[in-house]
Parts: sequence; structure tokens; C-alpha cells
Amino acid sequence: MSELLVIAVIGTRRCALRAHDVQSVIEVGQVSPIPRTAPHIVGLAALRSQALTVIDCRVSLGLSLDGLETDQRAAVVKVAGHAFALLVDAIEDVEQAQSAPSQIPGGFGAEWTRVGAGMVETASGPVLLLDAAQLVAGPPQETKVA
Amino acid sequence: MDDLLAEFVAETREMLEASEGELIAWESNPADTSRLDAIFRFVHTVKGNSGFFDVPHLERLSHAAEDALAEVRQGKRKPDTALVSAVLAIIDRIMELIALLEAGENLPEGGDTALIAALAANSDIATHADAGDDIPAAENLPVHKDHGPASPQRSIRLPVELLDRVMSGVSDMVLARNDLAHRLREAGNQPMIDGPFERLSTILTDVRDAITRMRMQRLELLFSAFPRLIRDLSAELGKLVAVELEGGDVELDREMIEMIRDPMTHLLRNAIDHGLESSADRVQAGKPSMGLLSIAARQSGNKIVIAISDDGRGLNQDMIAAKAVANGLISEAESQQMSREEILQLIFAPGLSTAETVSSISGRGVGLDVVRENIERIGGSVRVTSTPGAGTIFYLRIPLTLSIITGLTVEVGGLRFALPQSYVEEIVRLGGDTLTYAKVGDTSLVTFRGERLPCLSLADVLDLEHMVPDRDRTMVMLRLASGDLFALAVDQVHNSSDLVVKPLPREVMETGLYGGSTLLDSGVPILLLDIPQMAINASLASDARASILSRTRAVDSEVGREGLRVIRFVDHQGRKRALPMELVQRIETISASAIEREGEAAMAIVGDEILPLIGAEGIAANDPKVRLLRLSDGHGELLYAVSEVEDAAVLDGEMVPTDIDPLVEAITLVGGESVALIDGHALFAKYGAPPKRSRALTCRLPQGEWARTILAPLLRSAGYAIAADENDSADILILLDDDDAVEAAEATDRLVKLRSQPDEDVSKAERDGSIYRYDRPALLAALRQISRGEAA
Repeated sequence: MSELLVIAVIGTRRCALRAHDVQSVIEVGQVSPIPRTAPHIVGLAALRSQALTVIDCRVSLGLSLDGLETDQRAAVVKVAGHAFALLVDAIEDVEQAQSAPSQIPGGFGAEWTRVGAGMVETASGPVLLLDAAQLVAGPPQETKVA
Repeated sequence: MDDLLAEFVAETREMLEASEGELIAWESNPADTSRLDAIFRFVHTVKGNSGFFDVPHLERLSHAAEDALAEVRQGKRKPDTALVSAVLAIIDRIMELIALLEAGENLPEGGDTALIAALAANSDIATHADAGDDIPAAENLPVHKDHGPASPQRSIRLPVELLDRVMSGVSDMVLARNDLAHRLREAGNQPMIDGPFERLSTILTDVRDAITRMRMQRLELLFSAFPRLIRDLSAELGKLVAVELEGGDVELDREMIEMIRDPMTHLLRNAIDHGLESSADRVQAGKPSMGLLSIAARQSGNKIVIAISDDGRGLNQDMIAAKAVANGLISEAESQQMSREEILQLIFAPGLSTAETVSSISGRGVGLDVVRENIERIGGSVRVTSTPGAGTIFYLRIPLTLSIITGLTVEVGGLRFALPQSYVEEIVRLGGDTLTYAKVGDTSLVTFRGERLPCLSLADVLDLEHMVPDRDRTMVMLRLASGDLFALAVDQVHNSSDLVVKPLPREVMETGLYGGSTLLDSGVPILLLDIPQMAINASLASDARASILSRTRAVDSEVGREGLRVIRFVDHQGRKRALPMELVQRIETISASAIEREGEAAMAIVGDEILPLIGAEGIAANDPKVRLLRLSDGHGELLYAVSEVEDAAVLDGEMVPTDIDPLVEAITLVGGESVALIDGHALFAKYGAPPKRSRALTCRLPQGEWARTILAPLLRSAGYAIAADENDSADILILLDDDDAVEAAEATDRLVKLRSQPDEDVSKAERDGSIYRYDRPALLAALRQISRGEAA
């Protein structure tokens, strides 16, 4: 497996997105909030003439934003034909995957298992490979209500 | 037509490519009839299209093949090698002809009789021979030829995706241009850069227009399928129908064409099935036995109107009303009150089918409500009119494009949103702590022109907080396609502009509040509000019933109160006044700095107009929001400054004439308070800007039959008024043959003398002093000269 991965930090945990899925990494500027949407949908941002829906991955994972910093950078991915900006703590680097995604006994924890496609080894240690579609979908309905 | 033909050629090729696999499979095993569908569809389509393009040659070929294949499909005939070969030979021939068509060459006459004969002759043999199932594979005929174009292509087919990419690229450029323009302005005038930039800007605008047009397609493309559809349907139902198409050159967004295809097809089916009578019934009713369906499209502004009309029996108002009552849509009493027009629109209500019997074509529950829903989804509307016995017309109004709309930008809670301008009826600022706004339970109501309307607060809808107090909010009056009117309270209204609307992801659409996103000129993305959905969420226009009820109520309230409808207000000197509602055009808000005062007179600048202003006394010089009533008498306009608009009222009490103020006509009581009614006539007489066209000059005519029957009509048609009798004052005096009694009394330069003798019969002096009565140009010239003198 020599797949390229974009390494990001979400809630201080190191994660990875397939570089193939990531169109670009942008600095999220002005965001227009979208009232009455799920909490993890931060709003709309513009990438040139394209409107991006900004997703806060930390909220999507049900993490508390207390004490979490962000460098305002986001990975732009396309899910179901629409462009999303995935806002994270930080985006680190692009690395090569050294193994295929694998599951580990006991899982990654409920929320992480939902968005995770498996653990991948990289030169800088193991990371959780994320499924962008799940991040965009956000927590399941009952969590949203609560 | 070239475009269409190219489309036909391309479509035929595509279909053949798609069915090639089947063709080859069938060729290897003629007994396998399951392969036939694709091939049958192919020849069937070619037949239909060539009929439409009037290529009898092609039609003959495809028709023969279709017939043969139809027999096979029905099991009347067993396929054999010979048949396969014959069909394949015909398909080859079709492709040859298609290539010729594309090259623009004439099709060779004849040459296909043998091919068709092969089909028929072999069929006899095959039937008689009653061949077994195991037929050896046919000898391979060359099926796939080189279909390359024989001449340079005049049109190309592009994936829509590529177009979209180019379009978004151009949008990017426009944004970059705006940004650059902004920076250039900040940097000040730089002739070296400004010139080329201006040029770039113009080119960009042109390119943007062209790109937008690339998405447009002629309606012909949609229309071309209809004659066939109509032919098939009418054959199935045993009716004779002629079809008339008009306006195929009207252009519409490609996507839009796709969106209206189904609704239009449905309406056509409906017209043939229910609208048109059977031939026998038509003859009995004294109509030609062949029914006429006509489809006409025209562009009006940024809308396309498509009318689908039939000359059938028309809609039965009583039956529709009875059905609606039976279904609980309306009550018996309501049905009595509704106009025919209103009852007819009920056919678009869910669950109302007027078909007495369910036929194979329509009336199976998929009703006109679906048509309305689909049309409204793309921002259009549908309406029906019908004359009993004479026919029915459906009008579809459709916006030109899905992706570019005119939108109004509003602000609430510090956020901006756009809403489609097409819904906006009017923008009204709430005036102070007036009666126009009321809270009943948790519901807000506004009184607008005497009607109580539901009022939504955009902040509540979006779970935001209004940033301005109640009294400074602006009401956007929105009219839904169903005719319902409601008010939407926003903090501020910005501007209206053309917006490029992009779709939103499902996660955002789920809210049911937004219809898309768009970018402002500044590059900031904003959301487009989904107004119909918002109204439905708030149960303001959930179904036909609601809209009917509100309409009936509105009628009731108008009928119930007779009297003069006025708008009540307080002027800047604290006086309570009222003005007839008919005079008020709208309420304008300007800053006090836009008011020019000179002595008693004042003028105000509104937009780019300068209008006389009344009631300017008492306006604080630094008032940022001066409310003005914009009045019009039909010709001139003027402004009336008010400090507070109270509400609309009906004056039904006693009017007491007064002369305390020349502008006050009378004093009356409204709800126990005295109100001075402004005399609109005096107001315009004194301040109204004179209309540009001066009033028609009045001519007094000479006595006699000739003047009354010949001269008067001539003058009227030339725009002059005729004095009614001798004593009326007139601007121009016309005399015939020295009517000297009058002449002596009113010798004036506004006089035209006519005489009965032609020019050649009179002396020079007489010729100069008067005009021959049938010399029309000279007469009109003389009149014009006088009226010019009058105007100067």
C-alpha cells in the first residue's frame, strides 16, 4: 500500500484522509452561518466562485470544543457531488500509508468507529483513516436531538 | 432546423451504438426474440423522427422494418436468417442515409424497394415454411460501418458538466474582476490601467452572456417529440387530432426543458383524453371532426409562457365544484361564492380528477396536482381558463433559467439571505407603534391595505434574533403562486440583483428552509430562502383550501364595508390626516439630506427622480429616515412627508366640509378620532408636477353637417378635443366660409379658416388666408402651428 494520506489532527487525535479524496487544503475565511442546521455544519464559505459547506469535524465526532484550537485550515472534499470543507484542529502533512486499513480488537470508540475506515500505519505512527461521508453526515439523529 | 437535424442524426447514432450489442446477439441467434426490443425501439424512433423531418425515404424503410419486427414480437411470425438479414440490411441503409443527411446531400431516390421487398417476400416463405426453432446463424452482414461525418460538423455535443465548468470559471473571473475593480477604486484614478481594465470588463460581460446562452436550447427540441406523442395517443383513443406548434424558437435553459417535459406531456395527454371529444360528438356539436391541439410558447420578460390549448368541450365548472365539495376541499357555501375562474383552478388541487372513467392514458390518480407541484418546484406557475364547448387553455409560466434568478437580498440578525424577487409583491416599512402590526396569541398579523395578513418573522423562522426593534423592521410582502399573500419581517432590505444559484448538499436541504446558495459580488456566500416551503412549514399555504378561504374572506371584508378607503397618517406637525388610498403608490424612505427647500416649496430626491414634496415643515434636518407617501394622479407624482403611517381605514362616517385649510376637503370621525381628509384634487392642482404631455387642445367647429360628420372625427383622431357647444371655451376656432358673426367677436390668432372652394378656384389672397376644407395636411399643419404656440 503506497497510498498518500493527508494527516490531520482532530480533537488532538491524529487522523488521515485519502489524499485522492482531498481536492485542496484551504484556509477558511469568512463563514456565513446556516441557521437551523445540525450543529456540526458551521456554514458556507467561498472557494473562488464555489460555495463550500464547512463541517466542523470535532463537532461531527461529538467532541467538546473546549480547549481545542484550530488553525482555520480545512480539507476540501467532494461528497455526493457537493464540496465540503472539513475544519480540523490542524493539518499536518502528506504521508505515505504503510499498511492497508485494518480494524483493531475493541474498536476505536463509538464515535470514531462510525467515521473511521480503519487504522493505517505511517512513518510517524498509526493513524485512523477517516470516511469523509460519515464526517459530513454527522452524529446519528438521536444524538442530534440531544 | 439545422440544429434539430443534427440532434436527430446524433440521436440515431447513439441509439444504434446502444443497441449494437443486441443487434449482434440477434444476428447470431435469430430465434432469441428477447433481443428484439432495442432494435424495435431503434427503427420505431427513426420512423417517428423521419416522419417529423419529412424524410419519406427513411420513414418508408423504418416503417417496413418496424412492421416486420412487430409481427415477430407478437409471435405472428418466426424469425429466420433471411428476416434478420433483411432487417440488418435496412438498418445499414438507414445509417447510410443518415450520413448523407448530415453531409447535407440529397437523398438518392429509390434503391430501397428491393430491401423492403426482401423483408416481405421472405416473410411469406418463412411463414409457409414454418421453420423450426433451431435456425443456423445468419451470415454476417456488415453492421457497423464507419459512420464518420462526411462534412465538417456544424454543431458539437458537449457534456453539460464541461459547460458548467466553463460557466463557473467565468463566474470566478467575474469575482476576480470585482475584487480588482474594488482595489483600483481604492487606489484612485489611473488612466494607464483604467482603460484596459474597462475593456477587459466589457469583454468579460460579453463572454458571460455567451456562456449563459450556451446553456439555452430552443424549445423546438422539446416540441419535436409532441407530434408523435399526440399521434400515438390519439390513435390509441380513436380520436382525430391535429397539432399546431408555435414559438419553437424560444430559448430556455436546458435543464429547465427537462423539468417541464413531464408536466407538458401530462397536460397533452389530458387534453387528448378529456379535453377533446370523440369525432362523432364533435360533428354533433357542429365542430370539425378533427380536434385541434395547439402549443404556443413566448417569452415575456424573464419568463416563458407556454399555452396548451384544445378546442374541446371545455371544463365543466359544476362538476369540478361538486367534486371539490364531495372531497371536502371546499364547502357547498364556498362553492356558491367562488367565481368560475377560481373553481377552475381547483383542478390542480390534490385528489381531484374530473374524469368520469379511468382510461388507459390518464385519470389514474396521477393528477394535475403533480403537474402544478412540478411546475412550482422550478419557480413557475400554472393556470387554466376554459370556455364551455369551445375549449380549454393551460398557461404555464416558467422562469428562463434555473440557475440565474433575480433575487432580493435581505438581512436579519446580522446575516444576509436572498429570496427570489418573483415572490416579492411589495416592500413596506413598519411605521412606528402603529396598528398595522398586531400580535394575536403567538401569531403576528399585519394589516396591509385593509387586509389582515399573516406575518412571519424571518428571525423566528431561522432561530435568530432581530437586531432592530419592531418598529424599524421592514416587511417584505410575498405572494405565493397560489395567490396567498403574507408578510416576512426582516431587519433590512438590501438590493436586488441577478444571482447565480448553486445547489446545496442534502444535509442543508433537510432544513426545508433553503433553495440554494449564491455568492454576493463581494464573494461572500449567502443562502437563498425557499419561500413556498417556508410558507408550507408555517401552514400559511398548505393546500388549496387555505388559499380559497383567505380569498373569500378578503372579498367579504371589501363587500362588507362601503365608503372611501383612506390611509391615515400623522404629519410632521403632529396633525392627523388621511389620504384616499387610490392616490398612494407606495411608501418611500429617504434621508432628510435628500430634501431641498426653497421658501415654501420643497423637493425631494427619490432614486433618480426629483419630485415636489408637501408637508416638509417640521422635518428635522438630520432625520435619517423620512417617510414619504408617493402619490400619483395617473400623470404627475408628488410626495407627502409623514411622521407616522397609522393604518388603512374606511371612511363611512359623516364628512364635514371645511375651509380651514385649502388642502383639507373635510373632517370626519374614524374610531372616535377626528381626521382631516386631504383633498387630492386640490393637492395635485396646486403642487402636482404638470404631466409632460399637455392636455389636448379644444377646437370649436363651424356649424353644419360637414363639420360634425367629417371634420370632427378627423380632428379627434389627430388628438384634438371638440368643444361641446357654442358657449364652451375653446383653444382653437375653426371657421368655414366666413362665418362672420363669430369671426368679428373673436378675431384671434388661434383661428383656422376653411373654405369650400379648391385652391385653383380662388384668388391668391384668399388662398393664403384660408385652407381648402379637404386639404388635410394643410389643416393639420395649421393646427400644429397653433398648438406649438400654445405649448411655448
